[in-house]
Amino acid sequence: MKIAVCLKQVPDMESKFKILEDKKIDESQIAFKINDFDNYAVEAALQLKEKAGGEVVIVTCGPDRSAKDIRQAFAMGADWGIHVNDPAVEAGDNFVVASTLQKAIESIGGVELVLTGVQAEDDQAAVTGVMLADLMGWPHCTNVKKLEVNGTSLTVNRELEGGLNEVLEMSAPAVLTVQSGINEPRYPTLPGIMKAKKKRLDVKKAADIGASAAAKTDFIKMFFPVSEHKAEIIQGDAATAAAKLVEKLKNEAKVI
Amino acid sequence: MAKIVAIAEHRNGKLTDATLELCKAAKELAGALGAEPAVAIMSKDDTLAKEVAKYIPLVLSVTNAALEGYTADGYTQAIKAVVETQDVKGVLVPHSYDGVDYAAKVAMAIGAGIVSNCNKAAVEGGSVVFTRNTYNGKIQEMKKVNTDKFVATFEKGAYDMEAAGGAGTVTAVSADIANVRTKSKGIIETMAGAVDISQAKIIVSGGRGCKDADKYKDVIVSLAQKLGGEYAASRPVVDSGWTDPARQVGQSGKTVAPDLYLAAGISGAIQHVAGMKGSKCIVAINKDPEAPIFNIATYGIVGDLFEVIPAMKEKL
Ligand SMILES: Cc1cc2nc3c(=O)[nH]c(=O)nc-3n(C[C@H](O)[C@H](O)[C@H](O)COP(=O)(O)OP(=O)(O)OC[C@H]3O[C@@H](n4cnc5c(N)ncnc54)[C@H](O)[C@@H]3O)c2cc1C
Ligand SMILES: Cc1cc2nc3c(=O)[nH]c(=O)nc-3n(C[C@H](O)[C@H](O)[C@H](O)COP(=O)(O)OP(=O)(O)OC[C@H]3O[C@@H](n4cnc5c(N)ncnc54)[C@H](O)[C@@H]3O)c2cc1C
Repeated sequence: MKIAVCLKQVPDMESKFKILEDKKIDESQIAFKINDFDNYAVEAALQLKEKAGGEVVIVTCGPDRSAKDIRQAFAMGADWGIHVNDPAVEAGDNFVVASTLQKAIESIGGVELVLTGVQAEDDQAAVTGVMLADLMGWPHCTNVKKLEVNGTSLTVNRELEGGLNEVLEMSAPAVLTVQSGINEPRYPTLPGIMKAKKKRLDVKKAADIGASAAAKTDFIKMFFPVSEHKAEIIQGDAATAAAKLVEKLKNEAKVI
Repeated sequence: MAKIVAIAEHRNGKLTDATLELCKAAKELAGALGAEPAVAIMSKDDTLAKEVAKYIPLVLSVTNAALEGYTADGYTQAIKAVVETQDVKGVLVPHSYDGVDYAAKVAMAIGAGIVSNCNKAAVEGGSVVFTRNTYNGKIQEMKKVNTDKFVATFEKGAYDMEAAGGAGTVTAVSADIANVRTKSKGIIETMAGAVDISQAKIIVSGGRGCKDADKYKDVIVSLAQKLGGEYAASRPVVDSGWTDPARQVGQSGKTVAPDLYLAAGISGAIQHVAGMKGSKCIVAINKDPEAPIFNIATYGIVGDLFEVIPAMKEKL
């Protein structure tokens, strides 16, 4: 089965964020990595390939820095990739990204399954996979926690609230958004990293693949949240703070 | 009059809390826009339509045998029929598992822009401005649509639940539902376990910051034992197999409300907080002073959990 995995590069969420001009993140102090959910999607695709053969193609929209993490997926075992590196796509919204991913996937030809992450850790929209499925005219399932493929029959578990899963049957071609915990993503091996350097990565502009969608939403501004309720921060070195905390839990909150 | 329509959500014959929250949202937004608030409900019959009419003046009820259970194809076709026949300006959807599964598809079907995972909506200069969490809750952003209609999903708790009061009108809307491409084989429990942490008075919970299974055990499990409580975890800890799924707290795990919830190495993502924000006293230990967990904690220590927790144990 030929599988496309949509991979987004995101900032490490433990970074110290600085907002510039109310509208963007200062990237100079930030480390980037593969969106955690997409890492699970790559692993799920590799396991399907190992079982039944086929090909795993990575598709990414993002600036130059994204190439590092596409190669990371190559090192895990993905075969090749398409990197749409175009400021016009960067400035767009989920609809622009989904439309661009659609064109990129159609340019591959013969793709029967598309995996995305449940959501991007940075923008947390959780809409791209569903939009992409609609654009392709394919069925979808979100929050996939288990996946079995038999020819073109798919049996998937859709995660629900409180530890419940709904078991669904559907047919490929389809788009699935993959939830964390579905598998244990592998770490790249040294030979994998060596091979990754030589794997094919096609760099495209939106126009090269016929993508030209316009955004349906406008970004206004970003800001740090002001919380109404901030914790009482207990000061001092670890030993002092720990002692004060125990004292407060005993005598102030009276919970231990 | 143009309508702002909240989509009702129900499971096992009962309306979810999110439905009542969105009734409140629909009324507020419709009021500010000079529009009419309504709820659209998809079901096999109109039992629940009458129930939700206690919370909103107008209920648009789509009944169809194909809507007995939730499917993305079924819901999208039904909501599209509502939008096309009822002069709908905005569609409000819970940012729940089902909501996330169909909201973007509805937006595509009606040619609307979608803003998802919102915690606020306000009308400014005639258009709706949505506020939403990004970067794991560290940053908020404001967005609006540039299309005629909008779809928005709201995180749980964004609005208070509307109280029952009136007796709204139920209007039937018919929809043809064909070609449903997913088939449900039933719902299963995946987190059953011997332990029930929801009854514990003291819970010590560890997150990704605990680094590995052994350290999680050394630090979190032992502190829980020392305090005579239970140990619990955030999702990544369970995903990595450091402890069993029955101990996961959050949207996809258990909901707990102990006297003391101590969160160490947990950032405070909304899906985690959903499962523990009702705790009486919350303690956060995190090395990142900007971690969102400090916004909901009673006491916080900014520091290394591997230093703070052993020091706590010495004092107990
Ligand atoms: C500084 C900044 C400015 C922005 N400005 C605007 C703006 O002006 N207007 C606006 O509407 N939006 C804006 N955005 C949002 C941005 O366009 C979104 O990142 C994009 O729409 C994707 O949404 P998401 O990341 O939340 O995707 P989700 O829907 O949460 O992602 C789900 C999955 O889709 C796939 N996916 C998502 N994005 C990509 C990608 N780029 N490449 C490959 N796969 C992907 C991944 O598999 C991912 O797991 C801005 C974001 C930032 C950081
Ligand atoms: C549909 C859906 C459902 C979900 N359901 C759940 C759920 O039920 N429960 C849940 O928990 N999550 C859930 N999640 C995942 C959630 O979004 C977060 O990814 C998760 O809660 C993060 O867990 P964490 O805080 O342990 O890890 P991280 O966010 O990675 O945070 C780790 C924290 O540890 C701190 N840290 C690191 N080292 C140290 C140290 N030495 N000392 C002190 N602090 C340290 C860091 O500063 C950081 O704040 C769900 C996500 C989705 C999309």
